[in-house]
Amino acid sequence: MNDFKYIQPENLNDAISALSKDSIPLAGGTDILSLAKENLLDSANVVNLKNIDGLDKIEKTNAGVRIGALTRLAAIASDVFLIKDFTILSEAASCVASTQIRNVGTIGGNIAQRPRCWYFRGDFDCLKKGGDFCYAEVGKNKYHAIIGGSPCYIVHPSDTAVALLTLDASLTIASKDGSRDIKISSFFVRPDVDVTVENLLKPGEILTHINIPKLSNKFQSAFTKFTERGVWDFALVSVGAVIERDAGNIKKGSLAFGGVAPIPWVDKELNKKLTGLSLNEDSILKFSNEVMKGAEPLEHNEYKVKLSQGLVVELLSKFI
Amino acid sequence: MAQKIIRSQYHLYDEKIDTMAEVPDSELKPLPKNKDLKVIGKSIPRIDGNEKVTGAAIYTFDKTFVNIAHGRTLRSPYPFATITKIDTSKAEKLKGVIKIIHTYNTNEISWYWGNSKLFDKTTRYEGEEVAFVVAETEAIAEKAVRLIKVEYKELDFVINPVDAAKEDAPKIHEGGNIPKRRGHSTYSRGDFEEGIKNADVVVEEKYITEVAVHNPTEPFCSVVKWDDEQLTIWDSTQGIFSVRDSIASSLKIPQSKVRVITEYMGGGFGAKLEAGKYSVMAALVSKEIKRPVKVVLDRREMNLAVGNRPNSYQTIKVGAKRDGTLMALGLTNYGSMGAYPAGAGAHWPLRSLYKCENVTTSEYSVFTNTGRARAFRAPGHVQGTFALESILDDVAEKLKINPLDFRIKNFAPIDQDSERPYTSKKLLEAYEVGAKAIGWENRKTSGSDKGFIKRGFGLASQIWWGGGYPPAYATVKMNRDGSVQVLCGTQDLGTGTYTIIAQVAAEVLEIPIEKIDVLIGDTQATPYAPSSGGSNTAPSITPAVYDGALQIKEKLMSGASALLEVSQEKLVYSKGEIFESDNKSNSLKASEIVRKMRERVLVATGSRNESTSGYRVNTFGVQFADVEVNTLTGKIKVNKIVAAHDIGRTLNRQTLENQFHGGVIMGLSYALHEERVVDEFTGKVVNANLLDYKIATMLDTPEIDVIIVSEADELVSAVGAKGIGEPAIIPTPGAIANAVYNAIGVRINSLPITPDKVLMALNKEV
Repeated sequence: MNDFKYIQPENLNDAISALSKDSIPLAGGTDILSLAKENLLDSANVVNLKNIDGLDKIEKTNAGVRIGALTRLAAIASDVFLIKDFTILSEAASCVASTQIRNVGTIGGNIAQRPRCWYFRGDFDCLKKGGDFCYAEVGKNKYHAIIGGSPCYIVHPSDTAVALLTLDASLTIASKDGSRDIKISSFFVRPDVDVTVENLLKPGEILTHINIPKLSNKFQSAFTKFTERGVWDFALVSVGAVIERDAGNIKKGSLAFGGVAPIPWVDKELNKKLTGLSLNEDSILKFSNEVMKGAEPLEHNEYKVKLSQGLVVELLSKFI
Repeated sequence: MAQKIIRSQYHLYDEKIDTMAEVPDSELKPLPKNKDLKVIGKSIPRIDGNEKVTGAAIYTFDKTFVNIAHGRTLRSPYPFATITKIDTSKAEKLKGVIKIIHTYNTNEISWYWGNSKLFDKTTRYEGEEVAFVVAETEAIAEKAVRLIKVEYKELDFVINPVDAAKEDAPKIHEGGNIPKRRGHSTYSRGDFEEGIKNADVVVEEKYITEVAVHNPTEPFCSVVKWDDEQLTIWDSTQGIFSVRDSIASSLKIPQSKVRVITEYMGGGFGAKLEAGKYSVMAALVSKEIKRPVKVVLDRREMNLAVGNRPNSYQTIKVGAKRDGTLMALGLTNYGSMGAYPAGAGAHWPLRSLYKCENVTTSEYSVFTNTGRARAFRAPGHVQGTFALESILDDVAEKLKINPLDFRIKNFAPIDQDSERPYTSKKLLEAYEVGAKAIGWENRKTSGSDKGFIKRGFGLASQIWWGGGYPPAYATVKMNRDGSVQVLCGTQDLGTGTYTIIAQVAAEVLEIPIEKIDVLIGDTQATPYAPSSGGSNTAPSITPAVYDGALQIKEKLMSGASALLEVSQEKLVYSKGEIFESDNKSNSLKASEIVRKMRERVLVATGSRNESTSGYRVNTFGVQFADVEVNTLTGKIKVNKIVAAHDIGRTLNRQTLENQFHGGVIMGLSYALHEERVVDEFTGKVVNANLLDYKIATMLDTPEIDVIIVSEADELVSAVGAKGIGEPAIIPTPGAIANAVYNAIGVRINSLPITPDKVLMALNKEV
């Protein structure tokens, strides 16, 4: 573990200024701790955000819901209002890692966590760490990206981000210039844009809130996460679905995928095809062939195409 | 009772273990059947359970001293390299660093039977020891490790055993990658080619199993402390005497000056059968700095450097008659030993499990630039049984014979090598009750289920040794208050050894188990008992405890006879009391006898009796699996495993179930999840942690039904118990693999059977 200075700001402004230079924010710490133990933490300062008031609340607003970034995943998974009105988010939060991790891990941290690629986490001087080679591209890439990968084939590990994408959430980001809201769909950074980061947070910026617009009761949602073992695992593929229903058909719908690309993945063309889809087994099976159409699997991960399709069948079948 | 010295012979793999042993001179009266016993066979809670769940139990990991120093190891980051320079100057300047040892400042100590040294200038796998730092804290030692600058010359490496066996592969040792001794081994009986020729159906298949890592709960760790010339080592080990002897030999000091203690232990599974380099490194530094030293390996080190189950690349050819008679069985196998000698074969199940006259096997144990293999819960049998049972199901299907009937048809009533009978083989009984318990009649034609979720049933049988053998000793002491201590040089890996020892003494002496104290895991305090491997602990030590307790009882009877002035034949022993059969009031309590004998304690050392000669001793069993496979996702859900086994006498139903559950879960994990993954371009392990090296969790655990079809095996010992640690895991992967095939109708010939393989296999069929 490298040495670092531990800074404990009491308010947002102090935190912003502490984070402007060679720092990393600490929320639940479940990711920071493992990065530190793997000697991947090279910031001079670790800035604890947990003393900042008011960032751990779930607030019902006129527009929908506003969730503080420090809200624990366990709180999101068990919040009665979220379970009822934003089911997909609480479902996604409830399948993160393990009970212990959900008890300390935060929603902000879950969205902003670093990737789990074993070359990135391991003793390999990979592209993401400033090296000049993506070991996964030709190496052991069973768990890597099948779409949008080049030049770095990580997959984004967040379960909640997938749900938030289908809900069209926006994120509030605070900096010394004040706060701004951006769509979650533009928060994540593809490796061909900047391979060293996964999102657009800059030094001195803090993700403070997640805002989700209200869904009318015509909408239904569902989330599924496929893991190799029962608990304490990242998704091979996860899928979130929000649909607006018109009798036996989908009027409008949105699917998002985790575990397939370096960013939580939305295929707009695919989502267009949801419109008018009859909710019966035959048409769902037919539709599923369109899933991951543009995928370019690596040597060991072609199965993710089939798995994504299979999960879409399972997920959409829930609406029948 | 008088003792005699014999040559004790025990068969394990191709080895005939031949040692001298002291055994009871006369035949011991066998312990009665379990139904007539009060303590043995019952579900007695662990006598150390309270200490464990309250945290009072001190494991090696917990052991500490006020002035203790901490060691950490610098390990090679390359699969194959030579060290040209080690610069410790920066590390030494770090405050709190006490001592750094490495090849340039340490005397040569031979390791791996002369194939390497404690610090070798050539490192042959990622994770091999390069230097050892001792510091005031573990964190400082860790930091210092990272400050050591080592210059390496990287060498061409080879990871896969099939590649490594080729002529032009990089040579890991001078003599090449297939060592002369045990590198290539063959076996044959009958005429394989003739058998194939006479067969109506011939099937040939290839199977691959991956390297699996033991990953016991308690890390590998040692605490060493010198008191003048006396070295004490608290070690997490499966063999206190074996660690003592290796360390004495490495340090060139008398065995009497080394004391090894393992009071409690959090698992080993075969990986902790030998002394660790870390113990010797810690002892060397500890002696010099005159402080105790503690060293604990982290998960990464444990996944790289302290053993694994070798992989296997098996080709099997089977010939059978139309009526189901097996005509020929042939196997070629390559297994990776890692960088130093280890066993990597897997042919024994094929050779011994079923009746077949014509068998041929050819196996290569090959050096590769990876961490060395070690014994891992039924070495060779788990991977061998998976492949054998997979192909037998394929043959049965071709013959249109039910897989269970096919096994029954080829039941081997005697050992085919020696043509000797088994002391016991109740495998047919196990088939019958196991099939009933799983609902075997519900098995359908493979792949015939409609819908996305398909159900399947499968089975696999098991053969293992596990009868135990002399020498094993236990000292039983009775105090003047009638309480009893049992001292035995065994160790409790977590399986319940403490408890079964107390049960045997309580049964014989008819005193409450609470009055019995058990001291094990201390080479200085106890008589010898063997390392805990081969499922031999319970079957080796319980007869010694039995003999020791019988001797105490005999002493009490003899003492009572003198004190009561009644001949011994007229005395009856009951519940710790001795009375005259015709005059019950003429009686003495055991404690009174001890007191009147003016002995502070009554002492007897019992020994394990000899097994009856002329037989082969094995354990047998069958496991049935009921699974569901989701063809949309490739997910395999194991609903239930039925484990029906012939393992001699049940000593403690509760700890027996615990151990079977552990074995089945470990087998399931190996079948469906576990795989060490090595990057082929760098030769480095990418999943040396417990997140990426996936071990099954509780949510993956099925219902497990354990059925024991055997009573005491009196030909094995006076207690008649056999080991269960290894029998429990052997058939699980094969049973699951066959159930998966039965569900989807597509065969996956490699382990682990992960969802990606299922999906790709299903896809290929379409």
